Amino acid sequence: MLVGQASVIARKDLVIEVRGRHALGTLLPFAATVLIAFGFAFGPGRDVLDRVAPGLLWMAVLFSAVIASRRAYQVETEDGALEGLLLAPIDKAAVFLGKAAAVTLELLALVLAVLVLVVLLFDLSVQDPLLMVAAFVLGVVGLAAVGSLFGVVAESARTREAIFPMLVLPLVAPVLIAGVRATDLAAAGRSSEVLSWLGLLAAFDVVFLSVGVLVFGYLLED
Amino acid sequence: MAATAERALGKATSRNGERTLGVASLVALAISALLSLVVAPPDAVQGEVQRIMYVHVPAAWLAYLSFFVVFGASIAYLRTKKTRWDRVAAASAEIGVLFTALAIALGMLWGKPVWGTWWTWDPRLTTTAVLLLIYIGYLAVRRITDNPSRRATWAAVVGIVGFIDVPIVHLSVVWWRSLHQGPTVFRLGAPEIQGTMLLALLGGVAAFTITYAYLMTLRLRVGRLEEREAREALSPIVEVER
Amino acid sequence: MTRLFGASPALVRVDLSIRRGEAVVLRGPNGAGKSTLLRVVATALSSTYGGGSVLGFDLATEREEIRRRCELLTHRTRLYEELTARENLELFVRLLGLPAARVDDALERVALADAAGERVRAFSAGMRQKVAVARALVRDPELLLLDEPTTGLDDAARTVVERLVLDAAAAGHTVMIATHHPVAPELGARVVTMRDGAVEAAG
Repeated sequence: MLVGQASVIARKDLVIEVRGRHALGTLLPFAATVLIAFGFAFGPGRDVLDRVAPGLLWMAVLFSAVIASRRAYQVETEDGALEGLLLAPIDKAAVFLGKAAAVTLELLALVLAVLVLVVLLFDLSVQDPLLMVAAFVLGVVGLAAVGSLFGVVAESARTREAIFPMLVLPLVAPVLIAGVRATDLAAAGRSSEVLSWLGLLAAFDVVFLSVGVLVFGYLLED
Repeated sequence: MAATAERALGKATSRNGERTLGVASLVALAISALLSLVVAPPDAVQGEVQRIMYVHVPAAWLAYLSFFVVFGASIAYLRTKKTRWDRVAAASAEIGVLFTALAIALGMLWGKPVWGTWWTWDPRLTTTAVLLLIYIGYLAVRRITDNPSRRATWAAVVGIVGFIDVPIVHLSVVWWRSLHQGPTVFRLGAPEIQGTMLLALLGGVAAFTITYAYLMTLRLRVGRLEEREAREALSPIVEVER
Repeated sequence: MTRLFGASPALVRVDLSIRRGEAVVLRGPNGAGKSTLLRVVATALSSTYGGGSVLGFDLATEREEIRRRCELLTHRTRLYEELTARENLELFVRLLGLPAARVDDALERVALADAAGERVRAFSAGMRQKVAVARALVRDPELLLLDEPTTGLDDAARTVVERLVLDAAAAGHTVMIATHHPVAPELGARVVTMRDGAVEAAG
């Protein structure tokens, strides 16, 4: 039931996303701009850029996650649609999971595009691509979970601009730390060490998805 | 268990309770100051600077204790919807953010002479810094909406989620730092803590905890007054059964 | 029950009972609390003090049961711009496990069968309200709540709304409408007047 309802909502979000072309039109250029800006800030020396490439990559993903999560809820404010979800006799946690799933998929598509860019711009060579992909998948899920949880708060009428990032960024610090470490180690081919960081990411995801399922309803009600 | 907590809260927040706590905290702070500054010996390696520990550690302890109270009160609020738990959470957050900032400032003051720099991403200090940011987020969320029940509910969610996040942050920072066998010869502590030093430290912790309790009763009283004022503004229209 | 928005009371000690199957019209000037009352009944808002029950279910503890049986129509249609009319309806069908056939049926009844495949973004206010009505038809709720449903609508849309109300009443459903204009006067609904957040006359 919960999963079924969540997938209906995820599907709806993705259809709207594809038709609105927000991801393509705004998110990807944004991520690219961020990376190029980082290039200007830290370059042009190759060695510095090589060392910080994983970090820059994750920063770009992080900022994009904030935007994507916000966007997921902006869609709902168009005609009070969020209230429609509140009034529907469905498990409210399904809204949370559905949105988190949709944001995850959007971000993964973005990550793919950004990875190509980073490999080109920063000449990042990757020894263990599988583990690196795993790191991104687990990390993105965590970012999407936190973003989809507090996105409700972000779209309230009186919310100031910076509250949403201010809430989200400290909370996802573990994802940033673990994600960058895992990516760095995976690129260097130190597979055994990557695993413990992946474990941390997985634990983060489990915790936040579970807690989100439990408390999301409270955020939605008035 | 909730009932005993409420009764204890009631006792502590009465006028007499408040005054007793006020006196007790003054006394405890004085004793703790005596112990830390006079009785305890200076550290063999760090010298007098190490005495900052007697304030820094209790402040850090309180930073986390306050947030634990925010966590507990947030859960209590979501379960019972009684505004008193929201008041407790808000009060603890306001006091907690001050202690957290204090702990960080003291940590940096201590670190400068000992490490040579203001900040070395020490795991505990870093986690405390993230805690400070989460606190600030909590307080910011409280200002989004005027609607008391929505404010309380949203804040409660942030309080719960934030608290659960802190151990994960700590773990990740510890792992992260362990990669860097850096030049941090000194952890922010003392190589051995024995006898009078331990006494002074515990005394500081106790004194700060009592002070926290006192500040809580003060803040809760203000909170109750605010609520009563809001109710009275509406009383021509609304009859509230409490 | 009482509902406060911050410090401003929108509903003050409203005490109202409505029999199942009854039709009620809420009258009153702007700011009287009609919308708020409807939204509280629909469980879109909760009352700050006091409570009540809707269709036998408690407002505080059984909100999902109420939501299952009631539909609220306001000037905000709660539709998704990028989805077609049909998709907006199918969303609810899939979410709530309703029979899929109802979608085509409802679209027919509101005369939107041709435009069903177009995105709501291109719809006029009247057409959007028709989609909202179609959604109500698909859900077939025991309790129908309408808040100024005909404001700013063209005649075709207005007729569709009236049809909805009449059919619902005929089917024995309960209807509450807040409106300045007469909607379906042939209903013979009981009139409840509100002013400044309180019930003035309960008809």
